Amino acid sequence: MAAEEGQVISCHTIEAWNEQLQKGNDSNKLIVVDFTASWCGPCRFIAPFLAELAKKLPGVTFLKVDVDELNQVAQDWAVEAMPTFMLLKEGKIVDKVVGAKKEELQQTIAKHISAPAASTS
Amino acid sequence: MAVSGFEGFEKRLELHFFGDDPTFIQMGLRKLDFDSLQQVLKAVQCTVVSAVGNAYFDAYVLSESSLFVYPTKIIIKTCGTTQLLKSICPLIYYAHHHLGLTLCSCRYTRGSFIFPMSQPFPHTSFKDEVTYLEETLPANLCYRKASIMPSKSASHSWHVFTATDDSNCQTLYDNGHELYTMEICMTDLDPILARNFFRLPGDEKTGDSAGKEMTELTGICDINPEALICDFAFDPCGYSMNGIDGHRYSTIHVTPEDGFSYASFECTGSFEDDVVYHIMRKVIQIFRPGTMSVSITCSDYSHGMWTRIASAAEAMGLKCRSCTLDEFPAAGGVVFQTFTTRRKK
Repeated sequence: MAAEEGQVISCHTIEAWNEQLQKGNDSNKLIVVDFTASWCGPCRFIAPFLAELAKKLPGVTFLKVDVDELNQVAQDWAVEAMPTFMLLKEGKIVDKVVGAKKEELQQTIAKHISAPAASTS
Repeated sequence: MAVSGFEGFEKRLELHFFGDDPTFIQMGLRKLDFDSLQQVLKAVQCTVVSAVGNAYFDAYVLSESSLFVYPTKIIIKTCGTTQLLKSICPLIYYAHHHLGLTLCSCRYTRGSFIFPMSQPFPHTSFKDEVTYLEETLPANLCYRKASIMPSKSASHSWHVFTATDDSNCQTLYDNGHELYTMEICMTDLDPILARNFFRLPGDEKTGDSAGKEMTELTGICDINPEALICDFAFDPCGYSMNGIDGHRYSTIHVTPEDGFSYASFECTGSFEDDVVYHIMRKVIQIFRPGTMSVSITCSDYSHGMWTRIASAAEAMGLKCRSCTLDEFPAAGGVVFQTFTTRRKK
């Protein structure tokens, strides 16, 4: 597990995806999911930046889902544009960034690192 | 007028490619690695600011305007003193060597620069641009034409260059639907409305979030409520956005400074849906330009698009001052209209 820290973890199967999600939920860590596609230019544009963020923020879990590989996951999460970044805490979507927007992504992640987990409503 | 300011008028280049290998065609130019794309943009002298893609195409907001990449079509639009035509050589090279695609059509358009003396070669004059295009484009693009479409004002002309091969490159169709491209250029914006595109000093916002606010505040988000918008606000002023809606794009760029204020709107559409009246009204409402030009590119202008454009503009207090038609070999027709406010400002 420690080997994955500081990296963007690619989920190639539903099982791997569910496992990572569960792990993140159990640890109360902020999860950032990058929905990406091999043919999407903007995804290639932001990939190095995302890898850097993952290195800088070992306390955040970065997952990567290829929308062609895990088509059902992308559909369930209503992903239409690429890249789409979903931010999760305790199994709930707390924020979303659509598009390769470096500053916006960084700021949105920063906001949720410092914010306490959503209180019970 | 300022001695020299930022050149808002964009240069626009549309290139179409074809290939024999179906595996390449499917995603085609979208598979171009980012380093190659960056080399192309470096030749033009601009960079990527933000980007988004969907199942049909990729849309990039650039430091100077926009880039759209479809599997077999690329559209680059750049303002300022960028050297847009220098993108042609690297694009032909990368498309051919990395993707097995061959250029089959080229269209270059622009309005009249506000500061023509500031433009670097090959944009020093339309004559220089045409010479550069003629020399750069491969010989298979044999049907060529350059035209300056006039208006009643010497300072507002539409410059068009097309070159097409004889392979029936379907540049004006999308899945069998006839497409039009509408390019609107506006100058002398309402100074109060133009203020919407200035950021407050020290607002501590990102360009992305400040852009999003402008999109909502100005009503740009209502032009096509279906579109996903990728927007950016520059510091201290200026705004760019790309809208993506299925296979269609729209794009807006604003240079709001007084004395050389400029805004552009561009989109593609098909004749089946009648949205042009709504679009025209919204766009005019957002900027209230003193002068506006509208250029429509399509294969068949029997649709009477320009009469609908004129009636929408007239309903918004603008008067049609000129309407010019021109045809381009194997590249369709262009209708160029100009409008000014009825009242002298």
